[in-house]
Amino acid sequence: MAYTPQYYPGSASVGINRRKHMSGNLEKLRDIAEADVVAIMGHRAPGADYSSTHPPLKEMGEPDCPIRQIVAPTPGAAAGDRVRYSQWTDSMYFAPSIPYFRSYWGAINCKGCDPGTLSGRQIIEARERDIEAYTKKQYDSEMTDVALCSMRGCTVHGHSLRLEENGMQFDMLARTELGKDGNVYGIKDQVGIPLDKKINLGKPMSEAEAKKRTTIFRFDGVPMGGKIGARKYDEAVEALHHMWELRSKWGYRPE
Amino acid sequence: MAVKHTKKLFMKALNKKFATEQKVLASKGVIEENLQGQKTGYLRLGPEQSARKREFMEYAKKLEGKRGMTGYNPYVHCGGIPLGQRQLVPYKLSSTEYVVEGDDLHFVNNPAMQQMWDDIRRTIIVGLDMAHEVLQKRLGKEVTPETINNYLEILNHAMPGAAVVQEHMVETHPGLVDDCNVRIFTGDDALADEIDEQYVIDLNKLFPADQAEQIKAAIGKTTWQAIHVPTIVVRSCDGGTTSRWSAMQLCMTFIDAYNMCAGEAAVADLAYAAKHAAVLQMSEMLPARRARGPNNPGGLSFGFMADMVQTSRVRPQDPAYVSLNVVAAGSMLYDQIWLGSYMSGGVGFTQYATAAYTNDVLDDFSYYGVDFANDKYGGFNKAPKTIDVAKELATEVTLYGIEQYEAYPTLLEDHFGGSQRAAVLAAASGITTAIATGNSQCALAGWYLSMLVHKEAWGRLGFFGYDLQDQCGPTNVFSYQSDEGNPLELRGANYPNYAMNVGHQGEYAGIVSAVHAGRMDAFACNPLIKATFANPGLVFDWTNIRDCFGKGGAREFRAAGDRSLVMPAV
Repeated sequence: MAYTPQYYPGSASVGINRRKHMSGNLEKLRDIAEADVVAIMGHRAPGADYSSTHPPLKEMGEPDCPIRQIVAPTPGAAAGDRVRYSQWTDSMYFAPSIPYFRSYWGAINCKGCDPGTLSGRQIIEARERDIEAYTKKQYDSEMTDVALCSMRGCTVHGHSLRLEENGMQFDMLARTELGKDGNVYGIKDQVGIPLDKKINLGKPMSEAEAKKRTTIFRFDGVPMGGKIGARKYDEAVEALHHMWELRSKWGYRPE
Repeated sequence: MAVKHTKKLFMKALNKKFATEQKVLASKGVIEENLQGQKTGYLRLGPEQSARKREFMEYAKKLEGKRGMTGYNPYVHCGGIPLGQRQLVPYKLSSTEYVVEGDDLHFVNNPAMQQMWDDIRRTIIVGLDMAHEVLQKRLGKEVTPETINNYLEILNHAMPGAAVVQEHMVETHPGLVDDCNVRIFTGDDALADEIDEQYVIDLNKLFPADQAEQIKAAIGKTTWQAIHVPTIVVRSCDGGTTSRWSAMQLCMTFIDAYNMCAGEAAVADLAYAAKHAAVLQMSEMLPARRARGPNNPGGLSFGFMADMVQTSRVRPQDPAYVSLNVVAAGSMLYDQIWLGSYMSGGVGFTQYATAAYTNDVLDDFSYYGVDFANDKYGGFNKAPKTIDVAKELATEVTLYGIEQYEAYPTLLEDHFGGSQRAAVLAAASGITTAIATGNSQCALAGWYLSMLVHKEAWGRLGFFGYDLQDQCGPTNVFSYQSDEGNPLELRGANYPNYAMNVGHQGEYAGIVSAVHAGRMDAFACNPLIKATFANPGLVFDWTNIRDCFGKGGAREFRAAGDRSLVMPAV
């Protein structure tokens, strides 16, 4: 019988969505052109050659070793690409993804990547052509809502701020804007440099859609612990308590 | 029901903070829903919206010709988009009426904060008994209350940097060193009565009776000198200077007061006592990779920090208030000065640290927890000291706090960084558990659980370091083996896992204080520290930390160590 990973507890939508994000079995909601993703990332001009930090592995005469036989290099590693990044800011007002789950998604599903998790941003670093592919997956999938999530290399401030009146996540550098046609447009790259052309990222999710797809527990969505005076723990809390107690009593050796 | 414990203490601060935004939006015909609206109109008014930023810009303009080069210019920020795209909100010092700009809480702009740290590093505690034994047993000198009074008069002349014994010596200007003083304290009431009151830290007057008895019992018949060298000395040198400066002046004073030979070998005994054997430094020196001498913040234990703060003797009936003041002192020192400047640099750490002592947020979460626990267990220090209690209280307080952030988006916006929220939620959980159980390990367990609950709820916590310090942290509670744990009272800024993260160390000190305030202990770790910082001659107000920070921010506080006396007028 094939093993099915038990990624996360809980039968409410948040637990289900968290499992989906970790499994990588995500719904594709849009198709942003590769060249547009590359432009927003801002590391190389679309169509330009990849910069490299070493020759292709095949030309390097690497020593024979069992690990190299077991692990096939990613396309970026094989080509000798430099390591670049993409970084996301997800609003706490029901953005579909949240930093730890972008990291779990990356760590489980994206070979050769290095996720970093903070409160207001989440970064994944990888070889350049690999990170471009991983970024496109994130952009296109239900992990992302183009109004509540945006790519921000710097000045990331916004995840915890109230939304703009039009429902967009606050961005000091205004890298995206809501067009009159109801589509969100990318107008600056990750670090705030204006793009040559506006990039249509498509329509934002409705509030109901965002609430349905979100992975964040909130009192006005799916609460994790009920409400004041009426506590009801989600299964995630029970699992967490169990883990914390074992770790407190026996460190990492729960014999 | 827990609902009755919600006080929303932060509402007053939020109304003050967002008043400008609400007023401007109303004038534009955009009606803000209220502090609970999840959307707003961002005004993007830039740095000019803040009085303090305007002052900075105006001053920078004045400096242009003088400096001959560029300086402060907020328009170089990020491609010409300056700070102030959202409202630059002011900060209310918790439980006070002081409302100041964020800039006023950077220690460079706040003389009270500087003085708090100066008061620590310029302090050294030196026992008198060892020196008296040398005088009596080795030299056959008589030591009486009269000779001690004479000695203290000479010492308060010499310690600021004045000469005794030797001829043709340079001296320091009394106006530059007027904050320097030495007082003694003892558990021996009969001796204390014989000493001129100007030289005594009177434990019976300064502390509530039960606390004075605890401290005197702990000190016994021993006698100690609370020495505060001039602020200007440690600002020119560093904390490692304090014991050297004081030891030199102590020895010279003994020679003068007891008519000793200046070069006899017995002086070495006095020097050894003054520099080593009878000395209590405020903090330990650090290992080479973080090399600092003693009396620098990195070696300051949480227990000592808790004892330096004096709120416990003026408001002992309110242990939450006591610990919140310790959190404020610790956050400022450990986060803003130690990690934020000694270890890192720049301005970001202030933003993290202020969350713990402004806008009554931590106050609200902590009082909620304390009331909840009191209701359930019947008072302070009444709950069983068990992991189940830590689990119940930390989960409740964290969920409560999370709900407030969610229900009041302006509150979330105020603590816009995850590290701020993590510190506040975990501190409230730790303080609650501390006061309820009177046990620092239970409290620490509550802290760590809060971190995990928070991370699991929102899928985010603080910055990278929280992965190690907080998610791995539960493994170092309930253990006293030195490589696995330590009583929280004895941990400090250089405890291995605690050596890098903002938003923790001040809160740990607050938790230590909460444990002992909940137990109605007179001190948390060391009675000598508690007695020394009761000295009314200190410049910073150690009884009300947050109020004093507010005074500093409002430019109402006069610090010591000023050099203007010997410089041309501006």
